Order: sequence, then C-alpha cells, then structure tokens
Amino acid sequence: MLLTYHRLGGLGIALWAITIGVCLFLLVPIIFIAALSFGSSRWLAFPPPAWTLRWYQELAADPRWLEAALTSAKVGLLSAALAVLLGLMASFALVRGRFRGRNFLKALFLTPMVLPVIVFAVAIYALFLRVGLNGTLVGFVLAHTVLAFPFAVIPIVNSLEGFDKSIEDAAVLCGASPLQAKLKITLPAIRIGLFSAAVFAFLISWDEVVVAIFMASPDLQTLPVRIWGALRQDLTPVIAAASTILVAFTLLVMAAVALLRRRISR
Amino acid sequence: MTPAFLSIRSLRQTYGSVVAVDDVSLEIPEGEFLTFLGPSGSGKSTTLYALAGFNEPTSGDILLRGGSILATPSHKRNIGMVFQRYTLFPHLNVRENVGFPLRVRGRPEREVARRVDTMLALVRLDGYGDRMPGHLSGGQQQRVALARALAYDPPVLLMDEPLSALDKKLREEIQIEIRRIHRETGVTILYVTHDQEEALRLSDRIAVFNRGRIEQVGSGRDLYHNPATRFVASFIGDSNFLDAAEVRAEGGRGRVVFPDGTTVADLPVHRSTEGDGTLPAAQVMVRPQSLRLAGAGEGLPVRVLDVTFLGDTSTVQFRTAWGQEIWMRAGADDIAALSPDVTCDVSWNPAESHLFL
Repeated sequence: MLLTYHRLGGLGIALWAITIGVCLFLLVPIIFIAALSFGSSRWLAFPPPAWTLRWYQELAADPRWLEAALTSAKVGLLSAALAVLLGLMASFALVRGRFRGRNFLKALFLTPMVLPVIVFAVAIYALFLRVGLNGTLVGFVLAHTVLAFPFAVIPIVNSLEGFDKSIEDAAVLCGASPLQAKLKITLPAIRIGLFSAAVFAFLISWDEVVVAIFMASPDLQTLPVRIWGALRQDLTPVIAAASTILVAFTLLVMAAVALLRRRISR
Repeated sequence: MTPAFLSIRSLRQTYGSVVAVDDVSLEIPEGEFLTFLGPSGSGKSTTLYALAGFNEPTSGDILLRGGSILATPSHKRNIGMVFQRYTLFPHLNVRENVGFPLRVRGRPEREVARRVDTMLALVRLDGYGDRMPGHLSGGQQQRVALARALAYDPPVLLMDEPLSALDKKLREEIQIEIRRIHRETGVTILYVTHDQEEALRLSDRIAVFNRGRIEQVGSGRDLYHNPATRFVASFIGDSNFLDAAEVRAEGGRGRVVFPDGTTVADLPVHRSTEGDGTLPAAQVMVRPQSLRLAGAGEGLPVRVLDVTFLGDTSTVQFRTAWGQEIWMRAGADDIAALSPDVTCDVSWNPAESHLFL
C-alpha cells in the first residue's frame, strides 16, 4: 500500500510539526544574529532594549573590515575561475574519456568534499610552509580552489552528460575545428552547468573559515577569518553586523543565480 | 581503372578482436542515392562514420574524385551529415544553425543571409528562421539539420537513420521531401537505414550489409527478384524457406526433392558450385505472394494452420508434411474454401523462386 499524505491522519500533523521544527532550526540562528546586529545592547542581550545602526557605522569606520571583504571577494573570484577551468577539463575527461581508472579518478576528484577540512588544512599548511605560500594570495587561492573543485566538477559533469556528443560532431562536420566546436557549441550549450559551478565554487571560498585561518596572515584576512579573529578578542555586536552582511551577500548571490537560471533556461 | 566519383576500397575496421567492417568496397557515381541497408551491428554505420572521419579505418581507402580523404580531418572534408539524433545547436535559432557552417568558413554576412534563405526555402521552412530548436517538432528539426548539412554545398551528404525517431506517417512525408531535395540539388547521398521499405522508397541502389560485409549491391528490383544470398532474400521482402532433401544443380538451374518426396525442377540457383552432387543444406526460397493453391497431387501437400483476413489480402499459414511452416499471401476469394486442418496442395512458378546452396 502506498503512503498517501491524506491517509496519514495524526501522523500527518506530526510530519508538519517536524517540518516546521527543521525550518526553524535552520532559520532562527540567522534571524537571531541579524536582530542582534541592529540591537543597542553591547552585551548582545536578547531581546534588544532598543534598535540602532551603530554597529554598522563602527564596521564601516574600521578599514580592516572592508579590506577583509575585498580579500574574500578576490580569493573567491580567483578560486572560482580556477576551479571552473580545471573542473571543465576534468569533466571532459570523466564524461568523454575511456581510460582505466576513470571511476577512481572521479572518486578522487570528490575527496575534498568528504575529507575532514581540518586534515586538509593542516596538510596544505605543512606543504605551503616548505614552498613559502602561506599568507600569500596565491596560496589562499590554490587552497580554496582545491576545496571548491568538486563543487565545480559535479554540475559540469552533470550538464556535459546531458549534452549529446553528436551535436559537437555535427559542428565539426559543419567545418568547425574540434576546439572551435567546443568553444562555440558545447560551452554555450552547457552554460547553466558552468554558471552553477562558478557560483558554488565562489560560495565555498566565500564562507570557508578553517583552511582560511591557516592560510591567513595579519595582512591577508578574509571576512570569516576577520570575524573569527574579532570574536576571540571581544564579543562585540560589530561581529553580528559583519555576519549579517556575509549572510545577506550570500542570499543575494543565490537569488541572482535563481533569476539568471530562469532566464537562461527559457 | 578510373575511380568513380566516390570510391570505397577494401575498407576494414576492427575493434580489438571484433571485426565491425570487413573488406567493404563500393564505387558510387556522382549524384547517386545509395542506401546502406542492414540490421544493427552489420557495419553500415561504421562505414558511414569512416566517411565522416569519426573513426579511422584499420585498412583500406576512401577516394573522393580520385583523391584519398582519409588524411583529411573531419572538419576539412566538407562532407554534410544528418544524424540519427537531433543535433541542432540548442542555443542558436534556426537561421543561426543553418548559417553556422558558412560563418565558420568566414563567408560574408550578406552571402550567409542569402544562402540561409535559399536553404530554408528548399526544406520548406521559410518563416521558421527565428524559432529555437526546442520549439520545433522532430520532423522540423531534421529538416533544419538537412538544410544546415546542405548549406555549404557538400559533394557528399551522409544520413545516419535520420528518420528513426519519427513516427511512421511523418517518416513517409519526409522521405518524399528527401527524394525531392535529392532531385533538386543532385547531391550524392549515402543513407543508412535498417528499414527495407525506406531503402526501397528512397534509393537508386541499395547495399545490403550483414556482419560487416556487403552481401549484394543493386537496385531494389534487383535485390527483390534476384537475391544473391539467403540473407538478402530474407531481408528484402517477405520470404519462405523450404529445406531440400536432395538437390541437383546444372547450368544455373536446379532440381529439388523435398523431404516428403515432392519434386520441383527448373529453380534458379544461387551461390552454386555449378557442379553436381547432393548438397544437404540447400534451401528453396518462395515469396508468400508467389504461392498458389494447386489441384490435388499437382503441388506440395500441406495442412492449413490458420487463415487471417487482412482486408485487401489474406494470409494463410501452412505446415508441410515434414513440419516446416510457410505462409501464403492471397486475395480473399482465392482462399474461401480454406480453414484450419484442411489439407491441400500449393505450387509456384519455379522461375519466381530461388534455390540457395
């Protein structure tokens, strides 16, 4: 017998309650931190005794926060670009290639997703110590590219698998060189996948903190590292303001993606 | 020997120990519509792909106007192709799709626009230029693909089962279009299909493929009336095969004794060693519409298994005395007296049947 919703009776109500509970569990901390960032209490009292924009003013007045945000954006964009480029080449190999060890390679490419981040962070820190890349932009970008790579590979592989190779063959017979056919036909045809890959890769870097702490130096800090650092010094509502901006920006990117995807797929 | 317009010479394609194409040779005059007909895995598509340059033959050669094309990469062969699957570029509209091969060749925009108009008129899709591929029916997509493949005036057009994804009615409609376009453009077409009716409808000549080899090349009539092998006889048109118990073949004619003792003489012989002697594996092929009811003792005695009324014609299933099943196609009136378990005799004009040794 199939479980249909209207036959569940009391159980149906329980399922509703669980759903609402899960949604609250996901949303409440975010709403809570946003509310605190506008509250007047220096000690993060809740509910706030009064509302103020003071913490945002303090945030704007401190150039280190803006610098951190810029660093975050720079590292995120570079990592995303690199991850998409490498992910694209890897995807062609995984989808079109017929070689031994293809499945092994596929699994290997996804390990940064499942490997404990702290293990990776320590390992890459030790490696970069030898080659002098710790605390540099290059080191930061390389480390984040590794983390972002699987998130770029997955959507690109999916869209490439959904793309009929015959279409590329047709372009070649039409007179396009194999490279031209890929650039003019295949890439535009899988652009939704490429776009998703870029956004995922950027967001992975944008809110990554563990590896970032190892890569950072006093002069080179991303926003999450700066928040972490400030949190250890003192618990000020400025951190809540910075966190709210971080979340707001992420939501903005997600919304932009949803809109663009709808336009592209039309 | 002067090479034909297009010449395939001893083409062979192996994948490991699998022989996909085995010593295929064909001479194709300019402007011919030649169909590769055969079951799946018979090597017909592999041969076509070798022409397109998608696989490199193990040995053999392909010559166009006397020069080998094997060293030329696909995109420089200037060959047109329509694929089995829909291959329009999804992000380009109809005009951009048809214009793509011209733009890749760096032709001026005015010429591209003019040529695209001509091609869309040729496939009767004027007015569809701004549509995206996703908004076209399957038949329209294949017609755009045809226009795109012909836009750059290729010397040879390859078609790999282009209609197999369409339903029967639409398929017949586009077959007529393809015939017309072939007439109007005079392009040499190599067409792959596993559908004998489609092959008969479209082609000047048909090459019947089986297990990587060509069994016979000829017009549809040739293949139907004079099949060179059992395979061609069974693949083109309907057929009955009767085992022969004893055979004597002399001078291209054969005399057969069936297991029940019935004797038939004057059968055309195929693949005969032209010698004498008894060949036990021999079979006689008779088309269902060649069979007639005969008077008692004047033909092959059979028992009726089933009679099926099909409107214009009817079919009757028989079993011979030694247990082989054959069927006959006949007009409804001819068989009014037949019903299951009735015994009767059937005969045929020996010249319309074939003895395969």
